[in-house]
Amino acid sequence: MARKQREFRILGMTPSEIVREFFSSGTGKVAAALFIVLIVVSVYALVTLPPNFARVWNNPKYWQLNPQYAPPAWIDSIMGPVYSPQIYVNDYTFTVQHQDGVTYITVTFNVNYEYDKPWNEIFIVINNPAIYSMSQPPVVSITIYRPDGSKITLGPLPINTRVTTLGVSPEVVSQVNLFYSEEYHISDVVPTGSSATPYLFYTVDDGKLVPLKGPYRFTMVFYVFSQNSSVINRKDLEIVLQGQIYGLMGTDNEGHDLWLGLLAGFPIDLAVGLLSALIIVVIAVIIGIVAGFYSGLIDEALMRLTDFVILLPAFPLLIVFSVLFGWSIWDAVIFLAIVSWGASARIIRAMIMQIRNAQYIESAVIAGASRMWILRNHILPQIIPFILYLLVTNVPGAILTLSSINFLGLAGSDTQHGVHYSTTPMSLAH
Amino acid sequence: MGLARTLAVRAATLVVLLFIVLFVISFALAGPASKILKDEIMMETKSIIRQLMLHGHYNSTQIQQLQTQIVTELENAYGLNKPPAIRTLYIMYNMIVFNWGYAYFPSEYGNVGGGKVVDIILSALPGTILLDTFGILLSAFIGIEIGLRSALKYGSKSDRAVMYYAALSNGIPQWWLGIVMLLVFSFYLAQIHSPIYFPTGGIISPRYYELWLTDPIKVFAIPQAALDLLWHLILPLVTVLIINIGGWAYFARTVVLNISQEDFVTFAKIKGLPEGHVVNRYILRPAAPSILTSVFITIPFIIFGGFLVTEMVFHWWGLGYVYNIAIVQSPTPDLPVVVALTYASTLLYIVIIFIMEIVYIMLDPRLRE
Repeated sequence: MARKQREFRILGMTPSEIVREFFSSGTGKVAAALFIVLIVVSVYALVTLPPNFARVWNNPKYWQLNPQYAPPAWIDSIMGPVYSPQIYVNDYTFTVQHQDGVTYITVTFNVNYEYDKPWNEIFIVINNPAIYSMSQPPVVSITIYRPDGSKITLGPLPINTRVTTLGVSPEVVSQVNLFYSEEYHISDVVPTGSSATPYLFYTVDDGKLVPLKGPYRFTMVFYVFSQNSSVINRKDLEIVLQGQIYGLMGTDNEGHDLWLGLLAGFPIDLAVGLLSALIIVVIAVIIGIVAGFYSGLIDEALMRLTDFVILLPAFPLLIVFSVLFGWSIWDAVIFLAIVSWGASARIIRAMIMQIRNAQYIESAVIAGASRMWILRNHILPQIIPFILYLLVTNVPGAILTLSSINFLGLAGSDTQHGVHYSTTPMSLAH
Repeated sequence: MGLARTLAVRAATLVVLLFIVLFVISFALAGPASKILKDEIMMETKSIIRQLMLHGHYNSTQIQQLQTQIVTELENAYGLNKPPAIRTLYIMYNMIVFNWGYAYFPSEYGNVGGGKVVDIILSALPGTILLDTFGILLSAFIGIEIGLRSALKYGSKSDRAVMYYAALSNGIPQWWLGIVMLLVFSFYLAQIHSPIYFPTGGIISPRYYELWLTDPIKVFAIPQAALDLLWHLILPLVTVLIINIGGWAYFARTVVLNISQEDFVTFAKIKGLPEGHVVNRYILRPAAPSILTSVFITIPFIIFGGFLVTEMVFHWWGLGYVYNIAIVQSPTPDLPVVVALTYASTLLYIVIIFIMEIVYIMLDPRLRE
């Protein structure tokens, strides 16, 4: 009895057949596990990261508050509290007073310092563009009450950019030096060229600098002279203590959060791997099946083509084309996929030739089966596991090739994993 | 008769392939990419004009005139005034007769032959042979030995360990391992003031660098220079070995396992032949063609594969590093070098593949009929 209903078929197989074949083989299970992990991480990355992350990554301003070359934050939980973490101060008190046309804004907050290596830097961030166009910029004066009862007064410092870096201004350096020479009679504590901020958290014991642990209280007084007194407000003010450890994987020389970079690489890697593997497998399967199934002239011609593709020096050609035409990473991936199907097609052809000479095919032909029926019922089920194997093995290969391309500095503008292996900022320069 | 015909077909295919690659590169260079050349001409003109303005008195119209004149002359000299088809043929001809022009290489890489591309590529060839070719041959030798042993002890603990190592080394990019090796054995060892540490890169110390570029044979004649070269070679070579031995071991193990299940091996064992005789005559001899073929087929591929980046990581003066300098380090991509290198490596590759075909036929008597 013939079935009346027409079914949806891919490669001559219904979807349920494909799924059954898929999970019947060990390679299929491996492929499924690999894909699930990659897909979950990629979806997580797509949800959590901003959509224009590649541009954000190449914008040094976005990362300037982060420490450079910082180890990951979890090393503190292994080694005990040694490195101070990055702190974004949120729970500060914010009071505003007006007097004689001058607005006094007092911001106070406490930090508990219990580490061996103090904060690198303190940033005062005003996210208000009006700060650039003030005729007379606001100034800030900072008083730090230390756990041993002493206090350091810094400033006044002008605030005329978005980010004010506390420790590098010569005034602050000289004030810290003065503090140490008055209290402990040591001169020139802060080495020339380095920030004074870490020295706010030291004391002198036996003539040596040791960290002074305990609660610190910061009082910052902003003086706003102009009429636009709301230039500094609670919403736009951010105080950041730059730590010596950062995030899940640390930072690089530009302060990039490497974990975010890695995360951003996942969807791109997955897309590149899948796209490349899909192109390779589709071409290889079509060429292999056609060549293996129709012997004679077509086979001969296709095999010459396959030989050709196998022999083609793809990587140098890719280099030349990327240099000449300024290829993007996607062009490069597609090019590499288009010229690397040769070996797979040859294997598929050999498999089909072998299967074709089997006796059950002969008996099927005698029984009057059509070519397509034989292809679907005898040949494809046997090569489906190999196709899946090809898919699985081509995905990591494509990703590794991509990272090589990226490392070479070719065709790079997005964030891929190759960037993170790079020791020089070269591949970021694009 | 059939043999000669097969070889002739192979040779023809390879030559056609070479010509197609050559044509594609030349066409790309002559047509769509001539803009880069025009940019370079503009840059050159501007520097000439700047020189003129420093040393003479010209007004703005004279400068303008001079500039157009220089640009036209340079464009004529580079053949930019001819149609793309003619220029493609011209470039192809120059490529074939090894007239590869001059490079824009920065002078800190040594002034080889006055910047002639041929000389630069020739000076990079010994480095590539030393690291890539020697590295791959050595790792193939060690790997095949390991694979053979583990196949003979099939299923043992050492066999499984070899397989895990092979899988692991297959997944690690070679240049990534190179970075780790540099970090550990060069930077960290130097940091803790270890008596032995390795250089952070380069092919040889600056003292011998000029000698290496001009006459690499002489370097081996001076004991200190040869030792210095060896000192620089150790880290890259170890990296190459660690990554490549696994693959070879896996491959040799598979081939040997397949053959040792054949009936004639069983028969030889039943006959009571000594173990060494069985291994050498009945297992290794039939395995030789496929093993050697893949050794040979790997050699051309390594010029382009992971070795390109590995050389760059170690600043190893080989073809890959030259490629990288040409792509990234000069102000604009150094087109003459990139194109010539591509052609040269394709040529090398095709020659090696053809030799491989002949060796394969020599080793496999079945193909000789």
